[in-house]
Amino acid sequence: PADTRDAAQARARRLPAPVTDVARLCMCDLLVAQCDINCCCDPDCGAEDFSLFTSCSVPVVTGDSQLCSQKAAVYSLDVEANPPERIFQLIDQVNPSVFCIRSTNYKQALYLKSPEIPTPENFDRLLDEFGGAAFSAEPDSWNLDTDAPNPPDANETHRYEHGVPVHTEDAFLRLPSPVVSSWCSDANPAGFLVNQATKCIRSVSVEKCDSIQALSMLFYINSSILAVPKSSQLVNISVRSVAVQSLDGTRTLLNSSDVLRLPMVVDELCLNAVLGVNYHITHTDTGEIIEAAAAFVLGAISKEALSIEQSFEISFTQENTQPVPLSGNPGYVVGLPVRAGFRPQGYPSPAGFLSNKHSQLTILQSTSTQDCLAAQGARAPVLFGYNMISGCKLRITAATKCQPLAQTLLDVLKGQSFPEYVASFGNSQAQAVLDWVPITQLHVSEQMISTTLQSSCQIPVSLGIEVKWTKYGSLVNPQARIVNVTATITSTALKQPPSGRERFIPVTSSVVFTDISSPAEPGYKAWPTINIKLPFDFFYPFV
Amino acid sequence: SSQLSSLPLQILLYVNGIYYIFYFLATLAMIIYKSQVFSYPDDLLAPDLAVLLLMGILEVPRLYLGFKGNLTEAEAPLGLSLGLTVGSVVLCVYLLLWQTYVLWADMLLNAVLLSAYGLESGLKVMAIAAFVS
Repeated sequence: PADTRDAAQARARRLPAPVTDVARLCMCDLLVAQCDINCCCDPDCGAEDFSLFTSCSVPVVTGDSQLCSQKAAVYSLDVEANPPERIFQLIDQVNPSVFCIRSTNYKQALYLKSPEIPTPENFDRLLDEFGGAAFSAEPDSWNLDTDAPNPPDANETHRYEHGVPVHTEDAFLRLPSPVVSSWCSDANPAGFLVNQATKCIRSVSVEKCDSIQALSMLFYINSSILAVPKSSQLVNISVRSVAVQSLDGTRTLLNSSDVLRLPMVVDELCLNAVLGVNYHITHTDTGEIIEAAAAFVLGAISKEALSIEQSFEISFTQENTQPVPLSGNPGYVVGLPVRAGFRPQGYPSPAGFLSNKHSQLTILQSTSTQDCLAAQGARAPVLFGYNMISGCKLRITAATKCQPLAQTLLDVLKGQSFPEYVASFGNSQAQAVLDWVPITQLHVSEQMISTTLQSSCQIPVSLGIEVKWTKYGSLVNPQARIVNVTATITSTALKQPPSGRERFIPVTSSVVFTDISSPAEPGYKAWPTINIKLPFDFFYPFV
Repeated sequence: SSQLSSLPLQILLYVNGIYYIFYFLATLAMIIYKSQVFSYPDDLLAPDLAVLLLMGILEVPRLYLGFKGNLTEAEAPLGLSLGLTVGSVVLCVYLLLWQTYVLWADMLLNAVLLSAYGLESGLKVMAIAAFVS
């Protein structure tokens, strides 16, 4: 009935009474019902366990040493005896100081306070007192102090800083992204200067497709962005381009991007559903957003589709600059693409090197078909620090001609525009010519001794790019710097199979990053010298 | 002998006065030390300080009346001083037994003061008996 339940609740609300008897206290008794090693006060240990101990981890258990006389439990091991046994003594410890405590009328003086058990009545008060990051005796005074400097700051020029969510009229600029699973969550704000690209899955149904907000263009452009946080200056999101993707995947760019295309249901298909949004935000160098544009990919959803994959991207560029993504500042960051460029005609030229998004260092990307001739065009960027190897298989028959094949293979291995120079730092400017490292190209031909040295034609079968890098700068914050890049093309003689048969030759390309940094030498500052000089006329008038 | 004033009582009162100054300062210093080193909540510090101050306030008239009564051989001031001594004894016993923290030095000082009060009370009673008769 009610009274036993209350009694049980009252029992549960009280913590167990603290143990104060030194003979029963044991700090090293951590394992329940098991003997702790070298714990002489553990009640679970027997005589055989004590004979295996080497020392006592807790030699003395006492109460507060400020008391004038108190009981102390002393544990020691008698190693002379065979087997070693534990000695337990209860002695009176005397504090000889004049200021020792003879007695105290305040029970909690020498013990820690038992904490309050939260109940429905005192929960709010306890949450106020202990719910913050720090327990303060007077929480109200802390709040007053932190509020005071804020109002003057609000009128100063606020600006966006790196990572701060981009504010819009109602909340934040949202970039839907997968959170725990792959389903889209609309609560991910876009951070200023944080370039992100996310892909997530959204569940759709064709019947309700015009009512699902996340499928319509309006959802992504209707709330304007605030130019600076907490201001009233608005920047409208304009539609830069609209591409329409058909059911089989082909995309067509529409000519006019002014018309807002909303999702509509037409013969069991949902048209104009948003499949991807690409935001471009232009900002000034003082952290103010001046322009925002969005490029859409709209697509059609068929009746059987229960979910679609949406992809979102956001990128920030400073006004009046060409967006060249840095691969590190200044040293290369592992995982970012190696920047490369060309020396334009008429070098030395004042403009320096040509480096843009199309002049990257790339290697062949393996495809599922593994056919070298069919895979032309698929290339992967070389990322700093990631050794990569890829390849394909080349099919040769008796009818293949050597010379065009060699040229095709060279294109497959090196790509359409193989760069000539690589940036040595991740943030090398195109104008700084000394910051760019030339790519050394080597040609090696495999000549097997047994084959006849006839001048058969050579076809390139492997491209190996070796990037040598070193650690540069200070000992505690070394920056990666590319020192040397060598591209080695290995050719072999083409051995054509007899007619009617075909052979497969493997073609590989690889990138290897080698660390050639010399061991760091710490430099120490010179010891300060004591410079004592007597004044000029110290010994006047004797000198 | 025509002189009824008690010389031992006079000496004792004089020494008591000097000792009490030392006792008051020492006990105050020890209360300050205790409040810094140990956990001494405000609602326990206040009664201890109040008792010490009350004792100090009582001591001045007590000693004055004792001096005056002994020198003028009048039993009324001496009797009043005896009454105040009872109050001081009670406060001294409080500081000896029921303080929040009783240090060894506290015990020593209070024991000496208590024995001085006891001796004084005995001498005062004898002096009153001598004056009355």
